[in-house]
Amino acid sequence: MDGVRVGKRVFGTQSPVTIGWDNIPRVEGGPWKRLFFTWFQPAVLFGLLAFWFYAPNSIAKASTAIWIGIGFRVFLLALEKIAPRHESWDLTWKELATDLFYVGLGYTALGIVDHFISSDALIELVRNSYDWDKLAWFTHWPLLLQAFTIVFIFDFGQYWMHRGMHNWYPLWLPHSVHHYITQLNINKGAVGNPLELFLIGLGIGGMFDFLPRAAMMAGAIGMAIGTYQHINVRFNTPRWWRFLFNTTEHHSLHHSRDFESTRSNYANSFIFIDRMFGTCVDGEAELLGMEGGRRMSIREQMTYPFTEGWKTIKERMGRAAPAEAQAVPAE
Amino acid sequence: MNLLGLVRSIWTVQGRLPLDPALTRDEALARLEPLLDHYGTRTVRSGDALAYTKTDPAAQDPLATFDRGSLAIEDSGAGLVLAWRLVSKALLACFLAPLLFLAFAQTAVFIADREAASAKAHPQPEKKKPEPVLYQNPIDKALGAPAPEKPKDDKKKQGGRFKDLSPTPGYVFAGIFAALYVLGRWLEPRLARRRFRRALEGS
Repeated sequence: MDGVRVGKRVFGTQSPVTIGWDNIPRVEGGPWKRLFFTWFQPAVLFGLLAFWFYAPNSIAKASTAIWIGIGFRVFLLALEKIAPRHESWDLTWKELATDLFYVGLGYTALGIVDHFISSDALIELVRNSYDWDKLAWFTHWPLLLQAFTIVFIFDFGQYWMHRGMHNWYPLWLPHSVHHYITQLNINKGAVGNPLELFLIGLGIGGMFDFLPRAAMMAGAIGMAIGTYQHINVRFNTPRWWRFLFNTTEHHSLHHSRDFESTRSNYANSFIFIDRMFGTCVDGEAELLGMEGGRRMSIREQMTYPFTEGWKTIKERMGRAAPAEAQAVPAE
Repeated sequence: MNLLGLVRSIWTVQGRLPLDPALTRDEALARLEPLLDHYGTRTVRSGDALAYTKTDPAAQDPLATFDRGSLAIEDSGAGLVLAWRLVSKALLACFLAPLLFLAFAQTAVFIADREAASAKAHPQPEKKKPEPVLYQNPIDKALGAPAPEKPKDDKKKQGGRFKDLSPTPGYVFAGIFAALYVLGRWLEPRLARRRFRRALEGS
């Protein structure tokens, strides 16, 4: 495959990818259908922001956010069935069960682990040791700015953690498991080795004080943008949206079987962070995964970082040993 | 069905489908073979039967749910039938998953109880909590956002340290997987039957 040159990099030499927004198919059909798939994403974002901005205090609470989150996901699951982006990404019963297993782990086992060693638990420990009132000045900012700052702090940290995972072998090992997914569906973001899910959840946002309402708005921004990373629905995403925010297109390219393409689009919600650091590539891919699209079982996903790490250590020690043996006989 | 058969039916699916009288045994098996021509599938044919095993089947493999199985052409007396027996590790795992999530729920309860008992036995001096910030930015006020209020129920906050140790998610996911199992055990055999029928019809 020849691939497509973008600057000094060539994409799509190992697996087909589409580069450039003009080459990406758009939703066809009647005016209502096109209207829906063009404005659905902005309408949800602005609708949620308005809701959390104006909702009375009796409604603006975490339980409301949880129910909105569940309802949104169920709606998007239905949308995947009604208007799939690729038939080859169809959500089967087995895929749904696998994805929900990881979602469940996140809410249960990882919750227990996070109770002891998450960044929030550590930050609470640090904050209880000192007087951090000086960091409370964020609460005086306008709500929307606070919400944006919360998402940006988290996203900026996640960008570097994610980029680190693709550039440093010990971090790549737990993250590699997530790259064995062969299709994007609404819950695929949860699929991965628990060690990676723990690492990617680390953040320093807990160091700062924000108003609870701003935290709700931040959650809404994260949900109304980040959710579309893994989804089997095609949208006619507006130009300004795809310039600022991560999209299915960006993230499908990141999951491509083409190695060079995977080294792009690291941000979670704000793709402009990738643009800032020169790692953003606009495009999409249908063929996803590793090793030619081998689907990894849950059992292997749980053990892979450790078994692969052990293999690598043994290989390196095996290579190092003869070198040492050669050095000794000089005596 | 005896008890052992009932237990086996948790992860095993069996079925029969009458063949078109015009179809020979070889033709029927030849039409079924493309269903097994997928990544990670090894097929062995012996006489009038096909046996297969799958390793890491692709998501869109039509028989991905069933890791191994056998398909045989048999004479039922009234004509030839396709008989199959399929085995699914995914169905078994889904059947057992509620137990795993109930175990997580009980672990959360156990840890929360231990920590509560420990906190009671070794009470820490009550730290003076800072007053919640009730400041509202003038821009938000001008735009009509409700003013921040002092949290009403401080009693709930006392359990804050254990808020991530709630057993509820474990119970919820146990229920979800019980429902998923029922859905899968009902749906997947029907999809397999439909795929066999369509393959035999040549459609």
